[in-house]
Amino acid sequence: MKRLNKTFFAFLLAFLPFMAMAQIDGEFVKPRTGKFLLKNATVVTVTKGTLNNTSVLIENGKILEIGTSIAEAGTEVIDCTGLFIYPGMIDSGTRLGMVEVSSVAETVDYADLGSFTPNMQALTTVNPNSEAIPVTRVSGVTTVLTVPTGGLFPGTAALINLNGYTPDQMYAGFKAVVMNFPSSARRGRFDRRSDEDIKKDNEKALKEANDLWENAVSYNQMKKNGAELNYYPEMDQLSKVVSRELPLLIEVNAASDIQNAIKWVEGKNARVIFAGVAEGWRVADEIAKSGIPVLTGPVQELPTRQSDRYDIPYANAGKMAKAGVKLAIRTNEEENVRNLPFHAGFAAAYGLGKEEALKAVTINAAEIFGLADQLGSVEVGKVANLIVSTGDPFETRTQIMHVFISGYRIPLSNRHIRLYQEFLERSPGLNAN
Amino acid sequence: MKKQSYFLAALLGLSIQIATAQVKKGSVLIKNATVITATKGTLENSDLLVQDGIIKQIGKNLNAPSGVQTIDATGKFLMPGIIDAHSHVGLDVVNEATAPITSEVRMKDMVNPFEVGIYRALAGGVTVSHAMHGSANVIGGQNATLKHRWGSIDPQDIIMQDAPRTIKFALGENPTRVHGRGAGIQPRSRMGVEAVIRNGFNEALQYKKAWADYNAKASGKGNTTVAPEYDERLQTLVDILDGKIIIHCHSYRADEIYMLINVAKDFNITKLVFQHTNEGFKVAPEIAKYTMGASVFADWWAYKMEVYYSTAFNAAILTANGAITSINSDDAELIRHLYHEAAKTQRYGGMTDDQAIALITINPAKQLGIDDKVGSLEVGKQADMVIFDNHPLSVYAVPLMTFVDGVKYFDIKENADDQRLKISATEMVEPIFLSGEAHRCMQDTEFLFETTESLFNQKH
Amino acid sequence: MKRTLLKAGVIGLLVSGWVSSNLVLGQSDPSGKKRITDTYAITNATVFTAPGKAGTKATVLIQDGIILGVGTNLSLPKEARVIAGDSLFIYPGFIDGASDAGITKPKDLERPEGFVSSNPADEIAGITPWRSAKDQFSSSGDKVDDLRKTGFTLIQSVPDGGMIAGKTSILVLGSPTSTNLLKDNASLAANFRGSRGMYPGTPAGVMAKFRDVYENAELTQQRGQQYASVAGVKRPEITPTYSAMSEVINGQTPVLFTTPTELEIRRAINLQKELGFNLVLTGLEEYEAIIDVIKASNAKVLIKLETPSDKSIKAQKEEVTEATKAQYERVKDAYSKAIAQAGKLEKAGIPFAFTTVGTKPADLMKSLKVMMENGLSEQGAMAALTTNPANILGISRFAGTIEKGKMANLVLTTDSLFKEGSQIKHVVVDGFVYDYELTSKKKAEANGEKKDSLKVEGNWDYKTESPQGSSGGVLAIAKEGDTYSGTITYDDPSGSGKTSAPIRDVAVEGNKLTFFFDVTASGMTIAVEISGEISGTSMDGTMSIAQIGSFPFEATLSPTLISNN
Repeated sequence: MKRLNKTFFAFLLAFLPFMAMAQIDGEFVKPRTGKFLLKNATVVTVTKGTLNNTSVLIENGKILEIGTSIAEAGTEVIDCTGLFIYPGMIDSGTRLGMVEVSSVAETVDYADLGSFTPNMQALTTVNPNSEAIPVTRVSGVTTVLTVPTGGLFPGTAALINLNGYTPDQMYAGFKAVVMNFPSSARRGRFDRRSDEDIKKDNEKALKEANDLWENAVSYNQMKKNGAELNYYPEMDQLSKVVSRELPLLIEVNAASDIQNAIKWVEGKNARVIFAGVAEGWRVADEIAKSGIPVLTGPVQELPTRQSDRYDIPYANAGKMAKAGVKLAIRTNEEENVRNLPFHAGFAAAYGLGKEEALKAVTINAAEIFGLADQLGSVEVGKVANLIVSTGDPFETRTQIMHVFISGYRIPLSNRHIRLYQEFLERSPGLNAN
Repeated sequence: MKKQSYFLAALLGLSIQIATAQVKKGSVLIKNATVITATKGTLENSDLLVQDGIIKQIGKNLNAPSGVQTIDATGKFLMPGIIDAHSHVGLDVVNEATAPITSEVRMKDMVNPFEVGIYRALAGGVTVSHAMHGSANVIGGQNATLKHRWGSIDPQDIIMQDAPRTIKFALGENPTRVHGRGAGIQPRSRMGVEAVIRNGFNEALQYKKAWADYNAKASGKGNTTVAPEYDERLQTLVDILDGKIIIHCHSYRADEIYMLINVAKDFNITKLVFQHTNEGFKVAPEIAKYTMGASVFADWWAYKMEVYYSTAFNAAILTANGAITSINSDDAELIRHLYHEAAKTQRYGGMTDDQAIALITINPAKQLGIDDKVGSLEVGKQADMVIFDNHPLSVYAVPLMTFVDGVKYFDIKENADDQRLKISATEMVEPIFLSGEAHRCMQDTEFLFETTESLFNQKH
Repeated sequence: MKRTLLKAGVIGLLVSGWVSSNLVLGQSDPSGKKRITDTYAITNATVFTAPGKAGTKATVLIQDGIILGVGTNLSLPKEARVIAGDSLFIYPGFIDGASDAGITKPKDLERPEGFVSSNPADEIAGITPWRSAKDQFSSSGDKVDDLRKTGFTLIQSVPDGGMIAGKTSILVLGSPTSTNLLKDNASLAANFRGSRGMYPGTPAGVMAKFRDVYENAELTQQRGQQYASVAGVKRPEITPTYSAMSEVINGQTPVLFTTPTELEIRRAINLQKELGFNLVLTGLEEYEAIIDVIKASNAKVLIKLETPSDKSIKAQKEEVTEATKAQYERVKDAYSKAIAQAGKLEKAGIPFAFTTVGTKPADLMKSLKVMMENGLSEQGAMAALTTNPANILGISRFAGTIEKGKMANLVLTTDSLFKEGSQIKHVVVDGFVYDYELTSKKKAEANGEKKDSLKVEGNWDYKTESPQGSSGGVLAIAKEGDTYSGTITYDDPSGSGKTSAPIRDVAVEGNKLTFFFDVTASGMTIAVEISGEISGTSMDGTMSIAQIGSFPFEATLSPTLISNN
């Protein structure tokens, strides 16, 4: 009666780890911590080469030991024979956790009113129970930068690990004030401003940015001098960029805007990171010379100009890397941050290379965020953000078999998987009442 | 009198064939490729010979007839041209969003062969796309099936003239928002959507009868019956009821999918394909039994309420239940890597290579009614095909060349970067578009909303 | 039948022209504008009777708006007013194949209560085939004057409106006392513009709706015939739309489709092939690639008498990357193709004419010259201005050439028409002679007053005359790079004394200076525009205030104050 293909049953076997941890009637599998020994895997450390037949010991949220003969006693052994261990992937730009259903305004929390709102905190708005979080992490993405959008200074972005019940549990140790650099480009096909209007708007926005920055410099100086200043949370937050307490994450994409942004940050002595940088390939040498690191993406995107070569968005990261730009990759996504490995795979195929692409979603991101001692590679002492896969995590057919975030073993289930389990063989089926 | 005969012809469903210029047909021999046929497995180190746009031979050690160019594809992968069953690329207008039923509107009128998106799709291996009316109306316009013969300046030359007629339907949020909330007319709810469809079909039946009655009496002497109003909107619905048009229905929720299956059953309609179908997995047995299947996204979800309860395992579940399933783009960017979208079903559902390839080749061909012509590499079929450097289901796969009717329209090594066919004579500074120009189902409905901002977040 | 009707119309007009002298009212004409005669002889001019014909010395005699004769030994009636034409060149009056001059768009109808946007009434949805351009036309429009000044004497006036805007009217740009109507319902104006926010809203909907209107108009006609011949037939419902479409369906009235671009041209041709009406394509801007398609369609063609602006090509930057250079080349190539299109159309043997819809009359001849520098022959250009439109509009019986018996529509120039420096001195329309002042560009140059030596900056003492009396002040203009700025002093409107304001939007073109300044009075800001021509140290011009009027403005450059700057 059922005409199910045999391969699906075969596939179910591959899904046993999912099944074992998925919900069973009356029982819910929670993330749990412990002393886990991931035994006998191929460990792709990213920073220290690839180690065959190697085991990794995790405890208290950290990688305790990496070796070929780690004692099993007192550990929960997870046999990883034939499998690969990678550091958890980091998406350097998302809105994950700040939106549930984008067309339902009541669930959209990544943008607030006003153009000068750097005090808006992404971290506090993240919903730890967003359906998108478990959907994301089973793909091997364990950490994301979640970024507010909107006006000139829309808020403060935060790096979060994709496990935990409070923002504080999720916080991964990096925040940055976001700036949307005044753009001379169109915002899309709905933007019907004239060239002149665009220029005027751009000049006006740049002037606004300059005025705000000057104020922030003064504010910072007065604060340092111990002045009692009026309550001004926006300026207070921006002054933290002036004092280098917080980095400045500048979203900038068009070539001329990138050049302007490089000039703009000169002499400001801020910790600057560029984000987006869609036309970075046009001015790659200038970015490299500026030494400003870049969080680029999405990779799977259309060219910015009609005349551009069709594959330039795929090749952008590779071209910038070749010019010497330090870069990490982002999806700029919300519910589909799970596609980060595929964005990286496309960048790899179109010039970045697999090794550099892997770094762009692991150690490079950690370095840019100043967290190289904690994230981005499989090394002793680092946070136990690990994934165990059947192969190259960028390759589409690869299955992620285990995910650890801050040492917690993450149940490999989410809405998508539960629906699969329920409906693959629906009961009642076609004819039963 | 000439007019009269045309009119009768239209009533009889004989569409006027607009004379078309001869489209280019190519001949080529591809040697030593891994040939992924889509219907008959994968052939290692094999050759494929195309003459005058048709696949003539597939085998080993084939020789090129004189004058036929040979392409060495050693180590490369040859697969059928990818078919996108849901796209809006190459259309000047997507939505005539002003009435709940606009079946008289034809996308073939609006084909724009100059859109760079067509070339970009070719560069992603897509040779055929289904250029659809948008999803603003319950019954939208008639679609155009396009062959990506890039460089043609006559829209007729990129329309696949031998493809059957198809029409767009749409259920759920979009038509209820546009008409119910926007224009203050039915449908405002999914109940209303069903009512609009049933009303339309019942009126069509009356219309058909009125014309049949008139035609029966018209030639009689002293006939006193006058010709009814001409209404192409209803005539098109009659054509659907007569099985001359395939319905492609934008749909998300299981309840509305099931509703339309029931409506179709009531009106004896069997040519029905569901588009997007995010909750198709919930009614997979019904879709498999009563329809021509579902064309789905690989992994899109949560961008609106009706896709919140989705699963990326949708294609796998539908396939396992025996529904014809395809993966589509509905997007100018996604259309560039449908091979990768199809591969996602291997991560989400463990589909085999053959099954995954079928999702973007023979299955969409079946849903468009063109599987006897394209969709697989078989002798006698039109030579639409792509050469990849890697297996097309690998994330690292890069399309190298794309052929339509044996003519190479994309070559990664030879083609110029700037592919624009139309250049402004006055615009020295080219505009830069940062959020992309992805076509969307709700394009051309901006005027219905107070701010266009809402559309930035409004995907399909 | 059509022809006789037309003749009757023309004759009727002329007759009414005769008798509508004010005598009927027992009044003379105190306006001083009455003509002393309607007979003119332009003697011994160089006459170009038709395109391709060489100019010959001849006299043209006109009376009652008709050319009485062209020749060398005509006997001139005593009442003929003689215009010495020895240095003049005479051409047939130009014909504008489709024109928006003098047209005022009818007000949008208000949407009725309970308006349903999916099924609007025809007239709200832009389907108004019964409307006529003549009802929207006024000969007192600026564009009418400007068009006539450029040599145009006859136009096909196109109504403004939606997808089926209405019928065109063929009008002569003659006396304001006449209706000037030559032919009504000349063609049906259509375009692919949708109605905003209602059906049909897009070109896709427009095409479907056009088919629907056409087919149902046809069926309505058929029902009418049946009703007329068979008893017991239900009364057919006759609507204004279907009635007004009947001449189109019967092939009497062509459809004038506005189709600027290649794809729109194809869309109109496709509709024509499906439905079978007579097609005139108008407003063509981009057609280079499909001249063969146009030719095969047998559609008549009116191209837009406008060439793309070369501003951006001239403004391109010198130091750019190779990639940008390649882009520039593509734009230049597109530009070259665009300006060569008309010539190609001529070579393909398509007897096209022009439309001035959407153009500035002042630029028409410039555009035509660009076309001629890029392949359009002189004969082709003349034909496109005269005989071709006459043929397309079906009025060659009385228009398009200088021949005995034709309408007295003439263009009189100071030199061969297309020669550099040639100017239009008179335009004769329907026998009325319009005189134009010649500009003396050459003289200015001869006096050594080159544009470059124009002195704008400095302090100008100005005077202006208004109904309140004369007033004045100081206008100080400074130049920085290529831009001018400055201030102007004026009588304070709120009381006594002077006040001053900065000047803005200063533009210098040739010897012409224009700028604005804002006067604030009782909380309102009023923009004042000054424009004047500078000659040496004096400026002569006008001061204009919106909704109030224009006043003379005079200024002299004060030499003593310059040194203070």
